[in-house]
Parts: sequence; structure tokens; C-alpha cells
Amino acid sequence: MTTTIQENGNQVIATFEGRLDTASADRTAAVVKPLLDVRDKEVILDCSKLDYISSSGLRIFLSIRKEAAAHGCKVIVRNMNANVHQVFVVTGFVSLFEIQ
Amino acid sequence: MISASDLHQQMILEAYREALPVLEQLKTDVLVTLHEALDDSRLFLTAIEARVKKEQSLAGKLALKGAKYASLTDITDLVGARVITSYTDDVDRIASIAERLFEIDWENSVDKRRLHQLDSFGYNSLHYICRLPGYDFRFELQLRTTLQHAWAVINHDNGYKSDIEIPQEYLRRMNRLAGMLEMADDEFSRIRTELTDYRRRVQTLVKNGKLDDVQLDGDAFRSYLQAGRFNPLNKRIAAINQAEIQETPLDNYLQVLKWLGCNTLGDVNRLIKRYEEDAYRLARHQLGNTDLDIISSALGLQNICIVCILSTGGGKSGLEQLFDMLNGTIAQNATLADITYEQAKTLSFMKN
Repeated sequence: MTTTIQENGNQVIATFEGRLDTASADRTAAVVKPLLDVRDKEVILDCSKLDYISSSGLRIFLSIRKEAAAHGCKVIVRNMNANVHQVFVVTGFVSLFEIQ
Repeated sequence: MISASDLHQQMILEAYREALPVLEQLKTDVLVTLHEALDDSRLFLTAIEARVKKEQSLAGKLALKGAKYASLTDITDLVGARVITSYTDDVDRIASIAERLFEIDWENSVDKRRLHQLDSFGYNSLHYICRLPGYDFRFELQLRTTLQHAWAVINHDNGYKSDIEIPQEYLRRMNRLAGMLEMADDEFSRIRTELTDYRRRVQTLVKNGKLDDVQLDGDAFRSYLQAGRFNPLNKRIAAINQAEIQETPLDNYLQVLKWLGCNTLGDVNRLIKRYEEDAYRLARHQLGNTDLDIISSALGLQNICIVCILSTGGGKSGLEQLFDMLNGTIAQNATLADITYEQAKTLSFMKN
């Protein structure tokens, strides 16, 4: 699992690659920690290379969303593949995030 | 040679310069007192502000009516504070709060709202002359609505010093505007009161279970959600994988429920009763073979809507419309609809 963060204008983009599951959750949480302090920017969670997301991954997304909302930032989940989409539907998380 | 009147004015101005630090402190203390009392109130305030009168402004006042003041402490507006409210009802509420906070000089306080003649409009606001314990100086507290404030500011900036100098046509038009703003202020207050009454009525009807009497709108839906009607279904679904439930706003389901033909809360209730068992089965089918142990509190209602659409023949296009309403119109909604349809197609409600 690889996670990269880059800034692009008024957006901060986190790109996830591989399987975001229990085994990779701690490391991913550490990498995305700077996202919790973002102010006045849009946070993009780019899932175009994310193969799978487990509950642990959903909790990481959720913590990013909570902090972003507290700082007045919008979080957008982008480019999910069918597997990841499915997880978002069956957990009802489609109602929690803006999806593109 | 300097006149007695000029000398008197100069003495007062000199006293003013010496008193400036005290006046600044008074201004700060008045602001702090007002903020402490009003910030946590549930009143809709536009602004709380205060100022110390500028020397130039004081000199102008003394030139006009200096003989009226024996000493600097006779001038009551050296410090002026103002609270601007959204609603005219709140002016009176803040006035009663001010009466508890400050010692009011009733003799010099004016409710300009009550001064109007039957045939005049104009400057509506409540002026209290107040004293804060520990200070010799009094200060003026103005309480007015945003609309009263707008009128007063524009009228003050007309470039004339007194009503006598103002051209009659300007005065007539400003008064006409004041009358209109007064009506608007009253209407805003009336709307707020009626909305509050409506919300209370809806809450009572929901509480008493008279759901067919409640039209489905934002207030009604919020009251219904507060009653926790979806909690039992969400808890059942959560129990499938011992999942935690993440609270999620359900506001965007209002338009979905209307689209599904619900006009009253009674309709919503019947929709839930009719489809909740199948909504649970759908969740069990989707989650049962996963280790997903976190769900959104929207899941119960989401699945009820999905089941309703599929069992009434809405198919994939119906699901896509549902996701369009929840997510906005995006290309991925077709994929979401496909995935959901494939997951649900073997379930019993699809065979109805």
C-alpha cells in the first residue's frame, strides 16, 4: 500500500495505491496525518489506484472528513473502482462523502 | 477677546482630553459586559459595537448647545454602544437584559419608537442612558434592528445637521422608506413567530403519532428523524457484523422520499413498515460475507429506498436516479446502480 500527498492550488490530494486494509491501516494513517491539519483547502482522496478498502480504511477516511469539516474544508472521494464503490454502498458511506 | 461661552467649551474639551483614558476603559468594559451577557443568548444579533466620541464631534456638539452642559459628566453620549438585532422583538429582550446589566437613567432615556406622531415615521430605535458601577460618566446604549440601523446610517449621512435644513422632498421620501422598513421589520418578526409555532405544532403531531396530519417538509422530516425512527433498523443491520454506527445527516433523503411519493410523514411511516424487513435482508446479503464493521446511520433508509425502487420495477435506472439525488449527477452513479442491482437481484423482493 502506497499513499502520497501533494498540493495543487487550493487542493490537497491524497492518492492511495493498493489495498487499504487492517495490515496497511496504521502506516496509511501516519502518512495522511498532515491532512488532519489542512485549512481552507479542498481535500481530495484519489482512489483511482485503490484496489480495496476495509473498515480500517473507512475509519481513516472518516477521521479525515471529521477534521476537515471542523476546519471548514470539503472532502471529495474521487475515482473509486467497482470494489471500493461497493464497500461505500453496502456501508451507507455514500451518504457521508461527496463522490466524484 | 475670548467669550465666556468659548471659554466654557474649551474647559469642557480640556476635561475631555484628560478623561479620554477613562472613557476608553468605560467603552471596553461596556463591550465586555454586553458580550458576556449576549454572546451565549439565543438572540439573533447583527453587531455589538461601541465608540468614544471624537473630539471634533464633541466640539461641534458644544458649539450648538454647549450652555446646556455644566461639566463634562453632563454629556451622556461620550461613550456610545450599540446592539443591532435581526428581529424587532429582540430589541425589547435586549432592553430588559440591559436593565439588569446597567443602571438606567430613566429621565434621559428615550424610546424613539414610541415618540412618533400618528402622521410621522422616521428614526426608530431605543436609547438608554446607562451607568456602569465605578464610573462617573454615563454612556448611551442604542438598541435597533438591522433595518432601523440601515435607515439611520443613510439618513445620518445626508449632509444636513438638523431636520430643519432638510429639503421637504428628501424628508418625505426618507419617511416613506422608514414606514416601509418598519412594516418589513414587523413582517420578519411575524414570520419568525409563525415558523416557531409551526415547528412546535409539527413536533406535537409527531410525538402524538398523528403522522398523516403532517406534510412532509424540512421541519417535519427533522422532527421525524429526531424521534429516531430508523434506529431499530440500523441497529439490526449493525448487529450483522457487530458494526459501529456512524451518525450521518439524512437531510438529502427528503427529496428522495418525496420522489418516492411520500407527501406526509404518515406516507414515510408506511414506506418504512412495508420495506424495512427487505431492507434488512438486503443489508444481510451485502454485509454478511464481509468483515465490514462500520456502517453509516443512513444505511437503513438507503436500503429502504433501494428496496422500494427495485420492488416497484424501478430497476437500474431508478437506482441511478436515487444516487443522482444523493451524490449529485455524476458518471459513477451508473456504476453504483449496476453494483447495487447485481447484489440485490437474487433476493425475494425482486420476484414480486
